[in-house]
Amino acid sequence: MGNLQKNYLSKWVNWRSGKVVRLGILAVILILLPVVVPSPYYVHLLIMVGINAVLAMTFILLLRTGLITIAVAAFWGIGAYASALLVVRLDLPFWLALPASTIITGIVAFLVGYVLVRRGGIGFVIQTLVFAFIISLVFGTFDVFGGYSGIYNIPRPEPICLPFLAPIEFTSKTPYYYLMLFLVLVVVLAFSAFYAAWTGRAWRAIGLSPRLAESLGVNLFRYRILAFVIASAAAGLMGSFFAHYYGSIVPGTFGPFKTIYVHVYAILGGIGFAFFGPVIGSFIMTIVPEILRITREVEPIVTGLVIILLVMFLPDGLLGLSSSWRRPPAPVKNMARIARWIRASLPANRVDSEKMK
Amino acid sequence: MISVIMASILAQLVVDGLAMGLVYVLLASGFNLIIGISGILFLAYGQFYMLGAYILWGLMVLFKVPFFISLCVATAVSGILGGITYRLIFQRILSMKRQFLNGIVAALGLLLLIGQAALLGFGTSSRGVGSVFTGILEAGGIRISVERLVLIILALAVLLGLHLLLQRTNIGRGMRAVSFAPDIAALQGVNPGRTFLVAMIVGCALAGFAGGIMAPVFAVSPGMGAIVLLILLVVMLGGVGSMPGAIIAGLILGLTLSFGQYFIGTGLVQILFFAVIGFIVFFRPGGLLGQPTEELPI
Repeated sequence: MGNLQKNYLSKWVNWRSGKVVRLGILAVILILLPVVVPSPYYVHLLIMVGINAVLAMTFILLLRTGLITIAVAAFWGIGAYASALLVVRLDLPFWLALPASTIITGIVAFLVGYVLVRRGGIGFVIQTLVFAFIISLVFGTFDVFGGYSGIYNIPRPEPICLPFLAPIEFTSKTPYYYLMLFLVLVVVLAFSAFYAAWTGRAWRAIGLSPRLAESLGVNLFRYRILAFVIASAAAGLMGSFFAHYYGSIVPGTFGPFKTIYVHVYAILGGIGFAFFGPVIGSFIMTIVPEILRITREVEPIVTGLVIILLVMFLPDGLLGLSSSWRRPPAPVKNMARIARWIRASLPANRVDSEKMK
Repeated sequence: MISVIMASILAQLVVDGLAMGLVYVLLASGFNLIIGISGILFLAYGQFYMLGAYILWGLMVLFKVPFFISLCVATAVSGILGGITYRLIFQRILSMKRQFLNGIVAALGLLLLIGQAALLGFGTSSRGVGSVFTGILEAGGIRISVERLVLIILALAVLLGLHLLLQRTNIGRGMRAVSFAPDIAALQGVNPGRTFLVAMIVGCALAGFAGGIMAPVFAVSPGMGAIVLLILLVVMLGGVGSMPGAIIAGLILGLTLSFGQYFIGTGLVQILFFAVIGFIVFFRPGGLLGQPTEELPI
């Protein structure tokens, strides 16, 4: 018995350390990438890969709760505009505007979500699409947002002064790359914390079967609006970064078409993979057209074709091909199991069971 | 004198609003048909409207074909293209898991594909089809253009035809049965696959027809596909899958836009209308006449 346990333990340690080693290699590669690539243009592409990957992660987060959103880019835009306005009009430093715009996007998402998230299904999809159109209309119509020519001359982030080191100036693309890496890491850690906690289990239960989850006491509206706010705030964070990296923003960037691309990133990588799927999907969709030198005019046609073929022949994405990712159990067959998860996910029940011990 | 001018303006606004509203009703009915029967949220629907308008433009301007023949051809070709789209793409998607998500995403891909292809093929400039009916009807000082009247009559005729198709024919009964309960309809001997195909053909033909009758009124441009937003608003307001809802909401939208553009201004009336719809949807999540949408497992 003890032997078995020891075996199990050593296996666990091996698996664990293997994972650590793999993540370490990945980290080293990611840190060295901007040094290796031939020109600053590729660093720019890598930064866009990071931004797009986070947007796709937010799409997958909402998808897990059974909501299909077409307004990812709208919240990205809200973050970008909030940050740009705070810095340009109110002269706030970037490092204050970054969290502030994240919070502003979260508040807007709460207000919008309070209307939209009341029902899932087709209604939610239509309403998010309409919201995405309204947002680009609002950005374009009102003078506060600079009209259709947008906001330009958005200042760079202020240099970071660390003790014993030269101040980090944001003059070349490489510091932006490391800032992007840091922000992606923050988002990944935050999301995985939410996935691992009882919120994540409740989301998963809602995604599997909304009715069953509701009948077991999961408050659909509350958990969904939580997911909506978290996902939108993460998109807003990247929006703020994008505004100061790119230097100018126009309403057209944040229209519903961007969200179609976000769908491609998420599905190409595999929607079963919350973090690696989006990264791989956005990497391929950003780098490959550059390598093949597909022009801007033809690019939407290629993207449209790719996404249609993808959902027809590879709906699980590239990672779904290689790995042994199991489909979530069918709700009817595994009702008892899902019910147990859901009960475990409810905070009140958890307290009760602890008391019983 | 002033009252006569006011009455004339009001009559024109009502006729304009009715004409546009009926076009929205046509489009929303086709969209509702597709979503109600096959469950595909066919967001590329606006592109078929654009294709219909371009087919009419090509036939009338390039080949000098008469209006009514061009209109019939535009309707038929759009319908056939819709059927091909269903057979090529959506038939496979509907037979797989996660069909709701994949259907939406494929429709979005199609929207991107057709929109950009039209932009490359036809250029960004808008093309005009000369007005077909130019006369103006005058009765008691109220002047109404014949073009709008013909538009209203044509749209009403097609809506009547759609009503008869759905209520009086076997295929229409099958469509209603499938939209009510697909499994039970299949048990009663209705072929769901064929019903989906017919719904898609009829829906896209309606879009092509609407594009065809609108082409002489407005200029034809690749950006016409953006009308899908207005269709979505109508569907949202009337209720997803509800035909009477589509009629009421379409007329409301047409009249509101027509009056609002005259009295308030284009940009503001749109935002105002969005706000009103948001208010209604907040209290009635299913729209005016529809049921709240079902939760769908992803």
